[in-house]
Amino acid sequence: MRFIVCVKQVPESNDLKIDPNANRVLKKGVSTIINFFDQFVLEEASKIRKEGDEIIAISMGDSETKSTLMRCLALGADKAILLNDEKFLESDTFGTSNILAAALKKIGDYDIIFCGNSSLDTGSGQVGPEIAERLDLPQVTYTESIENVEIGKIKIKVQTDEGYSIIESELPLVIAGIPPSYYQPSIPPLPKIIAAQKKPFEVWNAEDIKGDKSKFGSAGSLIKIIKLYKPPKREQGIVITDEPKAAIEKLMELLNKDKVI
Amino acid sequence: MIEFTEEQKLIKQSVSEFAQRKIAPIALEMEKNKEIPQDVIKGMAELGLLACTADPAYGGSGLNAVTAGVIAEELAKGDCTGSTCVFYLVQAAWGFLLNKYGTEEAKKEIFPKATAGDWFLGIATTESGGGTDVVGGKTNIKKDGDFFIVNGEKMYISGVREAATNGGGHITIAHQTPELGSRGMTVFYLPLTAEGITPTYIEDLGREGISCGGFSIDNVKIPKHYILGEENKGFYIIHEGYEYARALIAVICAAAGLKSLENGMNYAKERKVFGQPLAKFQEINFRLAEHYTKLEMLKRLGYEALRAIDLEQEGKGNRFETSKIVAMAKMFASDWACEAINDALQWQGAFGYSRECPDQAAWRAVRSFSLAEGTREVMKMIVARELLGKELISYK
Ligand SMILES: Cc1cc2nc3c(=O)[nH]c(=O)nc-3n(C[C@H](O)[C@H](O)[C@H](O)COP(=O)(O)OP(=O)(O)OC[C@H]3O[C@@H](n4cnc5c(N)ncnc54)[C@H](O)[C@@H]3O)c2cc1C
Repeated sequence: MRFIVCVKQVPESNDLKIDPNANRVLKKGVSTIINFFDQFVLEEASKIRKEGDEIIAISMGDSETKSTLMRCLALGADKAILLNDEKFLESDTFGTSNILAAALKKIGDYDIIFCGNSSLDTGSGQVGPEIAERLDLPQVTYTESIENVEIGKIKIKVQTDEGYSIIESELPLVIAGIPPSYYQPSIPPLPKIIAAQKKPFEVWNAEDIKGDKSKFGSAGSLIKIIKLYKPPKREQGIVITDEPKAAIEKLMELLNKDKVI
Repeated sequence: MIEFTEEQKLIKQSVSEFAQRKIAPIALEMEKNKEIPQDVIKGMAELGLLACTADPAYGGSGLNAVTAGVIAEELAKGDCTGSTCVFYLVQAAWGFLLNKYGTEEAKKEIFPKATAGDWFLGIATTESGGGTDVVGGKTNIKKDGDFFIVNGEKMYISGVREAATNGGGHITIAHQTPELGSRGMTVFYLPLTAEGITPTYIEDLGREGISCGGFSIDNVKIPKHYILGEENKGFYIIHEGYEYARALIAVICAAAGLKSLENGMNYAKERKVFGQPLAKFQEINFRLAEHYTKLEMLKRLGYEALRAIDLEQEGKGNRFETSKIVAMAKMFASDWACEAINDALQWQGAFGYSRECPDQAAWRAVRSFSLAEGTREVMKMIVARELLGKELISYK
């Protein structure tokens, strides 16, 4: 089977600087990491892989994104593809999913396409579902784990508002994953990092992935950012450190005072 | 500044994640318990950090010196006590020497255990009579058929408890042909679990997660495959190990100092005095700028020194040039980092002086490095020797 994992490189810090004139997050000098949700789905893919299966990590981004893809190779991906072209710049989720879908069509032959449920920076959660629509595939979002997978069939555990449900689907499909609360991302060990340097790494541009170029980048995007700004800093909350009995009394007093109860 | 390769960037990220997640939260506890927890040691082993300079054939990662420096830097940022830094750096540096000069048999025996975190591989050259003057040491080694017999003692040695209780040993130097002075010394591996070794322990000022102590060596019998390189050529061989460790120490001091400066700076930005953030006062921000500049210079020189070691190993360098740049990098490493940390403590007021403040532990750790693996004064002697020539060597 072939699993494709879509990954995004995101800024490491929450304290981002904004260029108010261009309405853009300033990227220079900001350290970046793999989107937390994407590493989770990559690890899920690695868990279900059997001998002969292949995992391809794919990302649209600038040349710096290479480091995130190399991390994917160190975490178990067999091959990485970087989608990099000036024509891809300024894509919103609509443009991004068009680009990714075009690349996925070029790869063809896939069984599961994994995405993170959302990204830590923009957090729209739209790219996975949009890819599924464009490729006319079933999609399962809020996936916490894969219970079972066999040729043509999969059983998935998903998070719901009430708890969990188990969903069965045919393959191929798109899975958007969200880790359970106890998830700790693995740290790639040195020997795997060293071995990753020898794995295939390809860079594809707009020509390579074909598709309708008018749907790529800013031309193919629907969202126009009118103003980008940081939300006002929230006041620090009150921490009660008393013994339980006194703490409850103090808490009740505060809740009554603010008319919460 | 050296441009890191893609591989080095990934290694940096992995070690940073490990150090921040697994070491930083328990660092001060390590000093209280006077040991590095087994899960941290095993974690370091699983990541491939221990004796990382050994060839992959023996279980190592085959790293070069610059990459070993990248690891040292990240550990120093995460471990304010310096304990894991020492545990790491000694095995990286002296693992390099064993890898280069050790016999196949010794490497096959020692590295798989050291890289797995089961054994500790240390360095023991200092004696109670003196450390700087290596030739002045009294320990001797004598050939006895297929074996060697060692007698003497070593003192102020890191990782004695680790090797004596868990297994492992230290790279050591002793006189084989005493009448030849420096030309009659031999380097070898001494297992601390051998019969005839009696350890003693010393309470140190800092880096308390790793032990410091000494041991007497009473008729200890070692096999000949424990000899590193040629017999009687040890004095020259041992300096390659020191230099590896010294260059790593330069990077560790810079990183530890910069981390404390960052802590001090964050505090000074938040703390208000006379209605203004502390950081607004020139007394604070000029000092910050000076320390930062010195420590960045130090870090860069540390990496240059590591690169000089790599170039030499690739046959593109020169032994004496390496010695000089390494000595330049280590000369002020501890002093500059200590001065920076001392100010970072001052900015944090009384909290800075409390045991809860990580930076006090960093100061105590970094202070050791103007002594360990060669003193500040020795670094000056080396640079002066390279500038003035052998005729004006002070110690001859
Ligand atoms: C925490 C810690 C851990 C250590 N771990 C190890 C270890 O694992 N293995 C090991 O082998 N050693 C270890 N050492 C020992 C260290 O290497 C020695 O302390 C160092 O080499 C100095 O030796 P010494 O203490 O005997 O001082 P001495 O050699 O007696 O020197 C005393 C002072 O005189 C100065 N001096 C010497 N010669 C001159 C000169 N010509 N001109 C001017 N000044 C001079 C020295 O710089 C020093 O300041 C450790 C030390 C410390 C503090």
